[in-house]
Amino acid sequence: MTDPASSYSIELSNVWKIFGPQPAAALAAIRSGNLSKAEVLQQFGAVVGVQDVSLSILEGEIFCIMGLSGSGKSTLVRHVNRLIEPTAGSIRIHGTDVGKLNAEELRALRAKRIGMVFQNMALLPHRSVRDNIAFALELRNVDARTRFDVSEDVLRKVSLQGYGDRMPSELSGGMQQRVGLGRAIAANPDILLMDEPFSALDPLIRRGLQTEFLSLSRDMRKTTLFITHDLDEAIRMGNRIAIMKDGVVVQVGTPTEIVTMPADKYVSDFVEGISKLKLLFAGNLMEPVEKYERENGPLPDLETCPSARPDDDLDHLVRIAVRRKEPIVVFEDDKAVGIVTKDALLRGVQGEA
Amino acid sequence: MDHGTEARMFRDFAGRSDAYYASAISRLQRNRLPFWHVNWSAAAGGFLWAATRANGFLFWIGFALDLVAAVCLALAYKYAGAAEQAVIDEKQFLVTRFEAWEVSSFWAAILVFVIGRLLFGWLADRVYARQYERWRIDHGRPSGLRYSRLLPALLALLLIWPLTLYRATQFAPEPRACQRQDRALQDGESVAFKDRFNCLAIGDFPTLFWLDRPDEISFPRNEDGTRNLVRKPAGENLPPVDLNTFISQHIEDSVGYLTAFYGIFFDSFTAFLRAMLGIITAVFVGTPWPVTAGVLLAVAYRWAGGRVAAFVGASLAYLALFGFWNTAMDTLSLVVAASIICILVGLPLGIWIAKSSLVRSIATPVLDVMQTIPSFVYLLPAVAFFSIGKPPGILATVIFAMPPMARLTALGIRQVPENTREAALAFGATPRQLLTKVELPLALPSIMAGVNQVVMMSLSMVVIAALIGAGGMGFVVTEALSNTRIGRGILAGFGIALLAMMIDRVIQKARRPQR
Repeated sequence: MTDPASSYSIELSNVWKIFGPQPAAALAAIRSGNLSKAEVLQQFGAVVGVQDVSLSILEGEIFCIMGLSGSGKSTLVRHVNRLIEPTAGSIRIHGTDVGKLNAEELRALRAKRIGMVFQNMALLPHRSVRDNIAFALELRNVDARTRFDVSEDVLRKVSLQGYGDRMPSELSGGMQQRVGLGRAIAANPDILLMDEPFSALDPLIRRGLQTEFLSLSRDMRKTTLFITHDLDEAIRMGNRIAIMKDGVVVQVGTPTEIVTMPADKYVSDFVEGISKLKLLFAGNLMEPVEKYERENGPLPDLETCPSARPDDDLDHLVRIAVRRKEPIVVFEDDKAVGIVTKDALLRGVQGEA
Repeated sequence: MDHGTEARMFRDFAGRSDAYYASAISRLQRNRLPFWHVNWSAAAGGFLWAATRANGFLFWIGFALDLVAAVCLALAYKYAGAAEQAVIDEKQFLVTRFEAWEVSSFWAAILVFVIGRLLFGWLADRVYARQYERWRIDHGRPSGLRYSRLLPALLALLLIWPLTLYRATQFAPEPRACQRQDRALQDGESVAFKDRFNCLAIGDFPTLFWLDRPDEISFPRNEDGTRNLVRKPAGENLPPVDLNTFISQHIEDSVGYLTAFYGIFFDSFTAFLRAMLGIITAVFVGTPWPVTAGVLLAVAYRWAGGRVAAFVGASLAYLALFGFWNTAMDTLSLVVAASIICILVGLPLGIWIAKSSLVRSIATPVLDVMQTIPSFVYLLPAVAFFSIGKPPGILATVIFAMPPMARLTALGIRQVPENTREAALAFGATPRQLLTKVELPLALPSIMAGVNQVVMMSLSMVVIAALIGAGGMGFVVTEALSNTRIGRGILAGFGIALLAMMIDRVIQKARRPQR
């Protein structure tokens, strides 16, 4: 069943999820009759949760799915470990069609290869932190000694050393979510599904956990599907971002692509409030040296100009440009490849590259 | 809202006399309505006023008050007639009695009418203000004053008043007299219309059908121990029976049939209960009292701490000093046996109810009915199939005490948060693991509440089961009742209360351990 040629970790193709009494009929009607969502709701009592979504997630990347509540992002992610069955379409993990697994294979997949973190932690209140973390192992009948060793290791990874024998209720919200994360990585799965893991936490703790997760993630190199309703968080965490609205994926791209080239009004409204300082780079903002000289006369001596490399971000460029009259010269391999003027910097702050 | 709109609202709502209602209702809203304010036109009109104003609540209040007054008046008339009859019959003691009743009925009628109308007038504007508030939310509600609404009101009057008042003027016929009347009619004799009408309309509900007496059925034993069914037609000259007698005879025959031919089932069940009870009784009664008492105290101390243990000690001392020790242990073993069966049946049933919506839709009404039926009704099926003694007592107790176990188990499982269940599934839990590692542990507080209820209800039922020979403390009470030995009964009753409190305290504390 495994297709070695597939380089994607998770592939969703044409996934539909329709909730209601007759999903198949509703789907057929939408596909053929071009009914709107309101009409489908009226005729079939059916709600379209996910509409024709295709996504391919690379091995080891952090892929964010961003959308407001009701946009279908949590529904979509639950298709990956088949907590929700799709109405149509297929989900492949390393080429294996998840929909074709039998119950035992599916349980093995869930226990060994996919870890999941929930917004509301969903820890088991009657078990110690250690037993929560080792839950997936216990379900696979791993012996107690191994469970203990693994949980010690995981507790260290999520910085909860010494808390193994506490009960979850004795821990703060942030610490509880570390337990949730620890439980997800305990079985050393290669995929992590994170359903708004930090949304319920207060901003400072959220930021701390984001940073910690990023560094942990760099070590573990796990393919991560990260759900969030916060574009800032998506930009901070994601290698790539998919933006969902009403069950449809509106745009997929890197944070810079999303911010600089929003696909439609919906996305651009989101992007408006986002700081571009870390998302635009000298490479996006520079103009050719010839164009600069044609418009402004010859460059001053290169030695006196502030210099940068193409992958320096806007934040850095602003810092080196302040209190200098000269434009910034961008060097690549000791060769001046472009000029970033003050005008370009100011436009860049506004998000125009 | 400005003044003009408010005034228009009142005009739309009240129709006629809107100025009066506008002032009354707005004074009420400002808490400025004097306490003694009475709507005199409502007081005069009574329920007819409420009908024209389309206020159902006031209508029925006024209707009932006036009817009570009218009935009192009719009673006065009846007693006046009876007093005259007594004078003719020369029964002086009846004359004084009926005359006294006549006067008191008359004055009651006057009082109810006057005070009732005053109360009605007092309520009228206050209730009408509520109607106004509801009308403001929904203008579709009836408003204004319309005389056409008197029509249904008069219809209600016509349907209810005449017969009710007639009933008040008549002495109700004797049930036996009516039965005689029925038979006389069947024999073709004629009966006075008034007597017949009284029997049909103002006595007990008339017997509509008379049925032929069912055959007499018996199940005599053969020489080899098997039984056979003997059917004998009912005697020729016996009178027919009513529906109740007919059906209950059939039920008794069916039960008799089942116990006669499928007795082995009931007997083995009884044997099982008896064996189980035997073991438990051996533990409680067979153990010497110093050992039992010590163990009970130790358990109470270990589970529930020193204070509860002291209470248990005092209660045990009471039982022992008043000579109830063995009786109490007898009761305790019945409770334990019944509780064990309740838990063994109720827990799986509760899980099943929680898991299957079909089972839930069937079991919920059944459990509801089981809990609604008064407890001693359960003695009937137990006696029908299992005769009397301790095993049927346990059975009746189980039927009575089991529902909360199933119910609370199901409740506990269904209260497990959906996302906790989802998390367990996301980590690859099998259905069995989901149940044992997540749902049952999380439902444990609810399940323990179920156990507590089962034990308490078992105790109350075991006492009642003494009526069918289950023995124990309940027997002392029933015996005291039938011999009117109040003192003994009170002592035993107090002992039962102590037993209940003792068990309850220990379980409650054990359920909620203090950290």
